[in-house]
Amino acid sequence: MKKLLIAAAAALFALSSAASAQTIRIGTEGAYAPWNFVNDSGQLAGLDIDVMNELCKRAGLECTVIQTAWDTIIPNLNAGNYDVIAAGMSITDERRQSIDFTADYSPPEASAFMMQGGTTIDFNNIKGLRIGTQGGTIQSAYAEENLADGNTLISFDTADAALADLSAGNIDVILADHSYIMETVAGSGGALKNDGPRIPIGDGVGAGVRKADTELRDKLDTALAAAKADGTIDGLIKKWFPERGEGPFYPH
Amino acid sequence: MGDDIAFWWGYLTNGKHLSWYASVHYTLIAALLGGTCALFFGLGGAGLRRSRFAPFRLIGAGYINMVRGIPDVLFFLFFPLAFEQLVELIISQSACPPDVVATNAGTWPPCTAANWFLSSTEYLILAGVSLGIVYGAFTANVIAGAMNAVPMGQLEAGRAFGLTERQVFWRIHVRQMWVYALPGLSNCWLLLIKSTSLLSLLQIVDIVRWADRLGAPNFSRAAGLVHGDWRWGYYLALLLFFILLTFLSEKAFAALTRWAGKGMTLGSAAG
Amino acid sequence: MDLLAPILRDIELLARPALFNLYFALASIPAGFVLAIFLAMGKASANPLISRLSQGYIYAFRGSPFFIQLFMFYSVMLAFNQTVWKPWGIDWFVLHPLFLGPAILALNTTAYTAEIFYGALNTVPKGEIDAARAYGMSKGQTFRSVTWPHLIRIAWPAYTNEVVFLFHATALVYFTLPVIGDQKDLMNAAGALFERDYNAFLHFSVAAGYFLAISLAIFFVFGLIYRRLMRHMPQPPRVRFAPRWLG
Repeated sequence: MKKLLIAAAAALFALSSAASAQTIRIGTEGAYAPWNFVNDSGQLAGLDIDVMNELCKRAGLECTVIQTAWDTIIPNLNAGNYDVIAAGMSITDERRQSIDFTADYSPPEASAFMMQGGTTIDFNNIKGLRIGTQGGTIQSAYAEENLADGNTLISFDTADAALADLSAGNIDVILADHSYIMETVAGSGGALKNDGPRIPIGDGVGAGVRKADTELRDKLDTALAAAKADGTIDGLIKKWFPERGEGPFYPH
Repeated sequence: MGDDIAFWWGYLTNGKHLSWYASVHYTLIAALLGGTCALFFGLGGAGLRRSRFAPFRLIGAGYINMVRGIPDVLFFLFFPLAFEQLVELIISQSACPPDVVATNAGTWPPCTAANWFLSSTEYLILAGVSLGIVYGAFTANVIAGAMNAVPMGQLEAGRAFGLTERQVFWRIHVRQMWVYALPGLSNCWLLLIKSTSLLSLLQIVDIVRWADRLGAPNFSRAAGLVHGDWRWGYYLALLLFFILLTFLSEKAFAALTRWAGKGMTLGSAAG
Repeated sequence: MDLLAPILRDIELLARPALFNLYFALASIPAGFVLAIFLAMGKASANPLISRLSQGYIYAFRGSPFFIQLFMFYSVMLAFNQTVWKPWGIDWFVLHPLFLGPAILALNTTAYTAEIFYGALNTVPKGEIDAARAYGMSKGQTFRSVTWPHLIRIAWPAYTNEVVFLFHATALVYFTLPVIGDQKDLMNAAGALFERDYNAFLHFSVAAGYFLAISLAIFFVFGLIYRRLMRHMPQPPRVRFAPRWLG
């Protein structure tokens, strides 16, 4: 009976994992433009996807990108549902406890506040504010530790949901990555603005891999170093983040 | 005016939106698979409930009453995860060396070789079976009641004609049961198609997830059209879609009831 | 008894989240009950406009998933924030999940309950209504002494079912509305515990246990109310365990 069960399970298992034996699956969120989003043709696009495609090409790997939810992105990586996380995920020590990161493909940057154009907030005394963040991000962790006193913290499933609440005036500020905020503010035509202090959190954005996958990580790191050296990464960052300036982001 | 229409037509038929329309196949497959499974589980559950063997009756009653206490969304989330863990557990018995299992003690899966990758297709099938189990309990209740509603006289007449017990059961009891069961089954079906809206909770990019993504405000020029929060419009479209499904289902069940009631003189029951 | 300790710990951890589910249910039942009476009478009304509107409302809310109703109403309320709620100063209240959740639940349960009440309205014996009218009772008096007693007694078993389904539906509220602070309901809390140690069987079973226990409590309480409503009817024959000669 036990042998029969094992055979049946193995058959099920083999059926669905046969095709995926050689491809590297890359998990991304798809709701955080311009890092990763779904473009007008229904395809996943953005800086994360472009960088990973470049690295896969250089490392000679076959890669596919799949869409997954942000709040379970790390457990699903460890469970093996995909092999790499490329979702604008910042490198932090806390995340290093459960997964490994490649070198960063976007240099460390600060987090900043975004609010409706025309509002003034006294950032020396942050009190009585409704602060929105995306759940499970470095900004939500920072807000919980430092801004919880006297403010209402609201966490959203996606960055877009937080943006919707901000545009509607249900929250006062969003705390998020500075590059994301600059692009969003630029596209909003004055409806939103960036103000307040820049808070350095995180060590740049890198691709996440399982701790056991040292070979994959090394392959990606080699390809990444080469891409940085000849300016490809710089070009991609400039392409997706025109508000970020001329760079150079990585010496080449 | 013509420009506006052209713009909206172009926007609502771009690749993103076409993917949204196409993802309705997830909903329809989940509903049909769930409905079929629910029918099987329902017939099985009703059979258990009406069995002469007391432990079977207990199992049947337990199964039917399970839904009175547990929300369908909890079972819907639990079953695929539990099934996946069960399969991975069985695989890890043979595929995982014991020392790797020991080092991975607090986490899952016990070793990477034991991981069973579930794509949307697998999740869809598991979701369909899960829906079948939950709504099978409703269906079992309905079918058990309908079996009781068939007049005893019909069964006795069958026996008087010399039909065997098996023939009486299948040709008379079950055949006549349908017309009494159909109103309840129609109710179960309507609840089932509404439950398919929960597919996005299993990481399936279905119509609800697409509506959320398409409607969410976008201020990134690189990502496409810059627009505010249009989610209410997309969700309204989904609501109308489900109301349409409900309407069509009701029409279909009315036709089915007419067909099932052919040749039967019904007293106070359905029809 | 190593199995018992994690179960007990989970029961303790999920106790506060269970209160959120209970709150959502308790906050939406009264409004739903009262509105459903009016809606059912509207559907049965002779006025074609009111009748059609009531039918339309019931059809729309029963024909669409509650999950999507939650998303849509939140989005609609948000759209009115700048223009209506903020100027009136009530945006902090209207958009708060603890108000909005029960509000949307109430709208939903009104439709289902109204359908039940409408079915029960049709079973009120026409003869009694005619007799009431013959006695010169006003519409209000007829409703209070004839229609309502029949309606509530016929509808009560089906209404009990609807209340239990309402309680089950509260599990969906925090899947759709944003999380403020550390408010979590049973499903969120069980999900969060699962993410940490991947023990699906333990956490979801304890959450299911909570739902089961509270559902059984609802069935029990409503059963008691039903017995009180039917106290004028002949009691079903009781089983006597004591032999007769003991008195």
